[in-house]
Amino acid sequence: MLAIRGLTVAFGRRPPAVRDVSLDLDAGQRLGIIGESGSGKTATALAIMGLLPEYARVTGSIRLDGTELVGLSDREMSGLRGDALSMVFQEPMTALDPTMTAGRQVAEAFRLHRDRDVGRARTAVIDMLAAVGFDDPDRIADSYPHQLSGGQRQRVVTAMALVNRPGLVICDEPTTALDVTVQATVLRVLDEVLDAAGASCLFISHDLAVVSQLCSSVVVMLDGEIVERGTTEQVFHRPQHPYAAGLVATARLDLLEPGTRLPTVADHLRGAS
Amino acid sequence: MTVAETLLQADHLTRVYATGRRRVRALDDVSLRVTRGQRLGVVGESGSGKSTLVRLLAGLDQPTSGTVGYAGRPVSGVPERRLGFLRSSVQLVLQDPRSSLNPRMRVDDIVAEPLRSPAVRRELGEIDRAVRVREVLDAVGLPADSMRRYPHEFSGGQRQRIAIARALAPSPEVLIADEAVSALDVSVRAQVLNLLMDLVAGLGLTLVFVSHDLAVVRHVCPDAVVLQGGRIVEAGPTLDLFARPRHAYTARLVAAIPSFRAR
Repeated sequence: MLAIRGLTVAFGRRPPAVRDVSLDLDAGQRLGIIGESGSGKTATALAIMGLLPEYARVTGSIRLDGTELVGLSDREMSGLRGDALSMVFQEPMTALDPTMTAGRQVAEAFRLHRDRDVGRARTAVIDMLAAVGFDDPDRIADSYPHQLSGGQRQRVVTAMALVNRPGLVICDEPTTALDVTVQATVLRVLDEVLDAAGASCLFISHDLAVVSQLCSSVVVMLDGEIVERGTTEQVFHRPQHPYAAGLVATARLDLLEPGTRLPTVADHLRGAS
Repeated sequence: MTVAETLLQADHLTRVYATGRRRVRALDDVSLRVTRGQRLGVVGESGSGKSTLVRLLAGLDQPTSGTVGYAGRPVSGVPERRLGFLRSSVQLVLQDPRSSLNPRMRVDDIVAEPLRSPAVRRELGEIDRAVRVREVLDAVGLPADSMRRYPHEFSGGQRQRIAIARALAPSPEVLIADEAVSALDVSVRAQVLNLLMDLVAGLGLTLVFVSHDLAVVRHVCPDAVVLQGGRIVEAGPTLDLFARPRHAYTARLVAAIPSFRAR
């Protein structure tokens, strides 16, 4: 359903942030994108969403269900955003408007693309808030963002992204700002609603364990390029590229004897050269 | 058998913040002791009181009730000019080196800063600051030509090395690391953790390692305390906390650590 070919994103005169990236995502598939800060994960996501600043130069092809997204006008793109594809951002406090109730923000996405009727929108919103695990969706719908906890806000953002049942949901570090116990809840909810909606998902994270829980396949990005791709099982158990091997080794604290020296990415890159 | 010497000691610490009519009990009757050479993890989520505890242990804030002591000397209620012994013995490494390093100071001035306080100078005697700065930069693996540069010229991992060098400058006995690797990428995190563990072992430091990340605490600290809502709900050997948590909250924390699963 999503086919990216030769995607390159450049900002000004600097070397491209994303270089010749190609990837495919089937309907219902979940693909994790892992890499460190500056590796091009978020720039890739924003290119798909059409949310890059104007001065970014995007070349290559991004096809969603056969529609070419590269080169679409802002108006055409905003017709798709929130409907055919949507995004869950890292910081729920900045993704939500502090002056609007949670329910109205979820309703806005629905009324814009689906049905102007306020009553039917309210029903859809309450159903969606219940789907993301709220026992009291009516109270949540009438709350302002500041009245909600971080985990509740992130579930509201998830409800906004999924209320129109988009075919593709892009999650950019959706649980990075959350406490671990809250993260566990949000991940479980995300897993359930993605399944229920049958949505495909690009899941961006620097946390390899989180990716392993949610995604069936993974790509590893380094300096704007994909250096490793495969099933989650392949990439985490038999990584081929030395950088990917280093990243996996350094993240597997659970396999190490406490107090021992941690393997680093540099060890693996040195071993390879 | 030798009895381990207590360096840092907190007795019945309570800290209440009053804002307007609201009173928040950030820390509630917390007692702990840190013995020489110990690596103690302090685990908790946001709002657990971790940062309040750190500030009290480092003598940067006063408890509402209860006391902090260092090597048998009282810390709570002692005026800053007489805290030289604490400032030279207990040093902090904070989470975000972007905000904890003054962007307008050069690295050598940043690293030498703890040596400038009159109270610390009284404690340590005359130190050749330039020599000491070179020593600690070398200890954290930064080249000598880093001295005349500014923080923004360094990567996140290198900035955290600068923060560690600054903490080491007065030759402290205790290092308090407050989420010191939380803002770093995993590969950089591994390097900085290796450096911290090498320094702790090599210099015989005592480490209080505050983190929300249980997997990291398990690796670094043989002992840990778990904070929730300003109280210590469980304390003991870290591996026991993992394998046989006695408190429901500890069990929940351990269960919430994302584990590797390939599907």
